[in-house]
Amino acid sequence: MAEGVVIDTTFWGTRQSGVAALERELTRLRRAQSAHARELGRPIARASVLNLIVYADREEHARRAARSIADLALRHPSRAIVVLADRGARDGTQKRIEMHCRLPIADGARLVCYEQILVRARGDADDRLASAVIPLLVPDLPVFLWWTGTPPLGSRSFGDLLRLTDRLVVDSADFARPEVTLPVIARISDEARGRFGLTDLNWTRLTPWREIATAFFDVPAWRLFLDGVTGVSVGFAVDMDGRDIHPSQALLFVGWLASRLGWRPLEALAPSEAGGLLFAIARPDGARIMVRVRPRFERGLDEGDVSGIRIKATAARQLAEFAVKRQPDPRHQTATVLLDGERRWERTMPLPSPAIVELIGEELSILGSDRTYEAALGALVELA
Amino acid sequence: MIFGGSGDLAQRKLIPALYNLALQRLLPATFSIVGTARKPLSHEEYREELHKAVAQYSRTRPLNEEVWRSFAEHLHFVTTSDDAGYEELRRTLEQLDFALGTHANRLFYLATPPPAYKAIVEAIGEHRLRGDTGWARIVVEKPFGHDRASALELNEIVHTVFREDEVFRIDHYLGKETVQNILVMRFSNGIFEPIWNRQYVDHVQITVAETIGVGERAGYYEQAGAMRDIVQNHLLQLLALVSMEPPAAFDDKAVRDEKVKVMRALRRIAGEDLSMNAVRGQYTRGFIEGTPVPGYREEPGVAADSRTDTYVALKLWVDNWRWEGIPFYVRTGKRLPKQSTEIAIQFRAAPHQLFSRDALAGLEPNALVLRIQPDEGISLRFGAKVPVQGIRIRAVNMDFDYGASFMVDAPDAYETLILDALRGDATLFTRHDEVDQQWAFVDPIIKGWASSDSAEGPALYEAGTWGPTEADALIERDGRKWRKA
Repeated sequence: MAEGVVIDTTFWGTRQSGVAALERELTRLRRAQSAHARELGRPIARASVLNLIVYADREEHARRAARSIADLALRHPSRAIVVLADRGARDGTQKRIEMHCRLPIADGARLVCYEQILVRARGDADDRLASAVIPLLVPDLPVFLWWTGTPPLGSRSFGDLLRLTDRLVVDSADFARPEVTLPVIARISDEARGRFGLTDLNWTRLTPWREIATAFFDVPAWRLFLDGVTGVSVGFAVDMDGRDIHPSQALLFVGWLASRLGWRPLEALAPSEAGGLLFAIARPDGARIMVRVRPRFERGLDEGDVSGIRIKATAARQLAEFAVKRQPDPRHQTATVLLDGERRWERTMPLPSPAIVELIGEELSILGSDRTYEAALGALVELA
Repeated sequence: MIFGGSGDLAQRKLIPALYNLALQRLLPATFSIVGTARKPLSHEEYREELHKAVAQYSRTRPLNEEVWRSFAEHLHFVTTSDDAGYEELRRTLEQLDFALGTHANRLFYLATPPPAYKAIVEAIGEHRLRGDTGWARIVVEKPFGHDRASALELNEIVHTVFREDEVFRIDHYLGKETVQNILVMRFSNGIFEPIWNRQYVDHVQITVAETIGVGERAGYYEQAGAMRDIVQNHLLQLLALVSMEPPAAFDDKAVRDEKVKVMRALRRIAGEDLSMNAVRGQYTRGFIEGTPVPGYREEPGVAADSRTDTYVALKLWVDNWRWEGIPFYVRTGKRLPKQSTEIAIQFRAAPHQLFSRDALAGLEPNALVLRIQPDEGISLRFGAKVPVQGIRIRAVNMDFDYGASFMVDAPDAYETLILDALRGDATLFTRHDEVDQQWAFVDPIIKGWASSDSAEGPALYEAGTWGPTEADALIERDGRKWRKA
């Protein structure tokens, strides 16, 4: 009989027979911790500032997510409910929900408690998943839903969990077909306006690129060029054989520029060489801007990460080129400004770590919606 | 004296509570328990039955066999199917008095289904079971009557044998530590009472949520519904404790006087107000903790077209100086996603906001939440700065967790209440005028729902969800929402 994955109880804690038993076990663990802390003269309160639901459909993803959350416990003490959809076991597997729990102690944070719960849904438990998650949420705390992989739009469990959520965290780098999924996500977020916020970790990865692109035009002499952009080119990393194409991060950058500068779509996204895209956008004054999004093989980058941007513009009869490139060592980026082909300015800066822990940590501190992101997404939807 | 001595309540609650009192050396030395029921049982069979029950239901485990043995020696059983049975009961009680020298102090406990109350009380009178020398008290389980008239009638019957100060109407919610703690928190601290009024409070929410369905109680529940089963007693008790004025003393008269006063101030819901202020629901099939459960109408013993309410949400007003204009939203239901009883006092927002809209995105109104069960405790929600550059505000909870602070298990509500009844302290029991006011509030709602005008019946909700959408509308109309309990 197919039994699906084996759950490692040293990592996930012992299996509990239901929500009441699980809460009793957590209370017991808390008391034990609290008694221990008291001996050291440091009584603790139960610290929790958010509920974090993580959805994963593979054990290794679930485990990786759990580790990231554990690393975040100092900054974001939480109740983490890791949902593992274990569909692996095919027909004949009884639909079943199993629960495990543990109070891991984060490194160096002996007094912070963070509660980790595994909800393992065996078989096709789409219809009943939420009923196991709702009673586990700590009352009154905001609920973050971190969905790893492509959200299964139209599935009941996704819809049910979304209704509980204050903020949905996705990573469009994981989307198999971002050009299809991103617009749908945009629509969900639009319909849910005011009910929950939306975050894309891929958008967070883009932050240093957006910062540097903005910094160019903070210089008064170069600001004029913003109204005279004629071409934008964004490169993104692919693996050596160029099979996995993940242009969503690069597309978000284009969407961002379009939404901030009031560019309108002229023609639909068209595929170009080697999985890239080539299309035109109209400036508010009607002039054409050629946009090129192209895959590049670069060592040391994750697939889909932006590797460089180039913005061409004319103003006051001058031709300007603003470029940012990742260094061969991917921890730095270099920004260059060329005026009429002559290098005027260049600077190399550190690139913040793109580690998922940092990205998630940043997102968990925001509760409201990220209107800039939503606008960038909206611009992309119009293009698609 | 437990009438219904081998029934469900006796087995699950009363005998385990008495055993735990014995374990804590809180029972008087000369103490015996006589259980009665209509079915014939020998003393040995009775003790055997209760031994099993205590092993299964006691909050302390494993069973202490030594204590049980000496406890069981004082357990007796009498079959009371007819007059001869009651005569034997009288003789048994007299023998015990004689043997133990208890001065005939007697506590009668009505743990039978309510229809039997009348006959039992009459029998206590007829067969002079009260005894002559000691005190006599009677504990009556809820529900006390099924409407205002029947409660009054039952009261008259009880009063033919017992004086009001000898009647202990039990609502086990009042025996819960955390419920008593509402009074302690409000009236032993200086910081809460000054803000406990319309100047600072925006509204109050009370939730009594159960995950269980009707189970085997369909016979009773079909007649009662959530309104009689929970609202009339538990929910209104919580409301009274949270909204009452400070009593002058912590004794039965002062506390209960204040509770009655606030119940009188509770605005009646009737006629046209009904649809705007009251929602009833009934569960359909769904999932609880991932397990499929049947709908109410599919439960054994429930009519296929039953209109019984398994969910009630109400918007209430306490018309007095303290609470004028402050709504109390209360809800209760079966087959809700989690078991939770709590009272939340939500406070008004700061009068002037200095921070930007973006900074405030994570801020939620200040709330003081009294969690009755599970996870007994108190939490206070306020806004705090998120530790990043710039101002970003997030609601955080300051939690007091009963279990982690005191590290002992609280006594069961029945232990507290039985002990109080033995001591003669009626503070945590319901007085007749209180019951009367509770029914006076509940009756018009039930009548309104039953009337032919409201033919639509209860709104349906799927088991494992937080009730019907109509209940959301009830609170959202006012620009508020139910808490995530």
